[in-house]
Amino acid sequence: MKRRDLFAASLAAGIMGSTRRVRAATPDASAALGRTALHGTIPRIVPVRAHADQIMDIKVCLRPFRPAGPRMDVEHVAGKTVVHNYGHGGSGWSLSWGAAYMAVGHAAATLERKVAVVGCGIIGLTSALTAQRAGLDVTIYTRDLLPHTRSVRANGSWTPDSRIALTQQAGPEFARTWEKMARYSWQTYRDYLGMPGNPIDFRDNYTLSDTAPDAADHVPVPADAAKGTFATTGMPQSSAEFAEYASRISDIIPAPELLAGADNPFPVAYARRTPLMIYNFGAYGHLLLEEFHQAGGRIVIREFHTPSDLADLPERVVINCPGYAARDWWNDKSLIPVRGQTSWLPPQPEAPYALEYKGAAMISKSDGVMIQGYDMYGLGEMDGVGNSFEHPDRAEAEKAIAIIGDLFTRFQLRDG
Amino acid sequence: MTLSFTLRVTFVVSVLVACLHIGQAWAGPHSTAQAGSQSGSGHAVSFSAEQVAHGAQIYAGACAMCHGADLEGGHDVPDLGTYFTARWANTPIDQLAGYISRAMPLMAPGTLPPQDTAALVAFLLHQNGVISATDAPLPMEEARLAKLRFPVPSASSVMGGKP
Repeated sequence: MKRRDLFAASLAAGIMGSTRRVRAATPDASAALGRTALHGTIPRIVPVRAHADQIMDIKVCLRPFRPAGPRMDVEHVAGKTVVHNYGHGGSGWSLSWGAAYMAVGHAAATLERKVAVVGCGIIGLTSALTAQRAGLDVTIYTRDLLPHTRSVRANGSWTPDSRIALTQQAGPEFARTWEKMARYSWQTYRDYLGMPGNPIDFRDNYTLSDTAPDAADHVPVPADAAKGTFATTGMPQSSAEFAEYASRISDIIPAPELLAGADNPFPVAYARRTPLMIYNFGAYGHLLLEEFHQAGGRIVIREFHTPSDLADLPERVVINCPGYAARDWWNDKSLIPVRGQTSWLPPQPEAPYALEYKGAAMISKSDGVMIQGYDMYGLGEMDGVGNSFEHPDRAEAEKAIAIIGDLFTRFQLRDG
Repeated sequence: MTLSFTLRVTFVVSVLVACLHIGQAWAGPHSTAQAGSQSGSGHAVSFSAEQVAHGAQIYAGACAMCHGADLEGGHDVPDLGTYFTARWANTPIDQLAGYISRAMPLMAPGTLPPQDTAALVAFLLHQNGVISATDAPLPMEEARLAKLRFPVPSASSVMGGKP
């Protein structure tokens, strides 16, 4: 959910010897830009109208974060083979198809033809569709359908390693599993690009800063030893504990380009542009539901309270996709809530891009302009950790909108 | 996808029971016979540790570049783990060996000698949690392989991941 600070990411990559670091440190080089546009061509940017009195919705989600990474093992409970698929943190949308592919593999290996999927968020839906594509007969049991599930309270963009695990607790093996899921998911999403209604789309995402990418304020805050770690306190204590895996798939993810000097249309000193994959919830959600029904899938509205409730189901294999609800329904206390809030302004299709500035993110999507304060207090990955207040905070929404609004009051249209 | 098998003993036992039950009740879609294979036909599958080691070498050299180091396959390449075992369960093993020897590796089909093919099958069985019945090597001859069936997935192959 949270967009990473690409400046910070480039610093990290630089330490590992990436060439991106070199590009970031030498704006005049800007070789990448020359590949895609005439040098000196300023991208035509229509300003976004970001005003708090335009808010049409504020959504709050609780990312289902597990320090060891998502739960994807198999259990035998209440006479059922239960394949777990939950706890993907802020990366559920992004990893969904890859996670579903793994979960359905476990289900298929039972040789059962009929499977139940519990939950109909993005993990449940993609698990159900993947099971159908594997030739299985699928019934989804769910309390809520997509417009009401926590999944649609995300910001809806490609963030495959956002609050997905803690490096130590997940271990090196999960890094490999993550890479498989991310690659599989990315490739599956391509199948939904360029379709009517743009269920999946790309936006140019501009990462803006008043200070140089290698300035002190972009360096991640070092861990405070006095605070301890997850291992000593049972809760993550610093951004440094959170796993970052993005560099594992940099060969297939479009790289950031620096917009140097005259190429930067924004009223800030530094700008980078990165193509960002986004999910338009309305178009995509309806499309997935349609596909599920067309393939003969059934949906049963049902609420579960304890694992023994599964005994009543006619299916002998269950793919369990409850998201954060696993904390209650499966009594999984390892789930840590990570609060995130998005506010939504009316769609502005004339300004189809995204940006990040001072800890606020904006994505102009087909169903609205999303504005999120993802790191307005300098907490980094710790922002929202342990906070299960799933209620809109209007002041927070207005603060984030003001950051974007202020940017555009200083914006000067160039080029007529 | 290869995942660590950090299992509680109770899970192993209960799933083992469940899988035996499933194996008896369900004849797989590719199956021409009715019974599960691990004990069903009287011909338990055996392969030797040498075959598994040799198969691992062949796999690394000829197969891993497409099917992945962990047999995980990918978006455009079949996996050789959970989906693979579901597809082949209960099928006579000569069909799998024949397919591998005719069609694989894709860039040089028909180049694997019979002993390499048998070793690959042994490796794939082993990686998917099949326990060899004895130390006897998996035969190379089609007629003998035809009497063996690809085992239904065992507990260890259905179980995966960390809780």
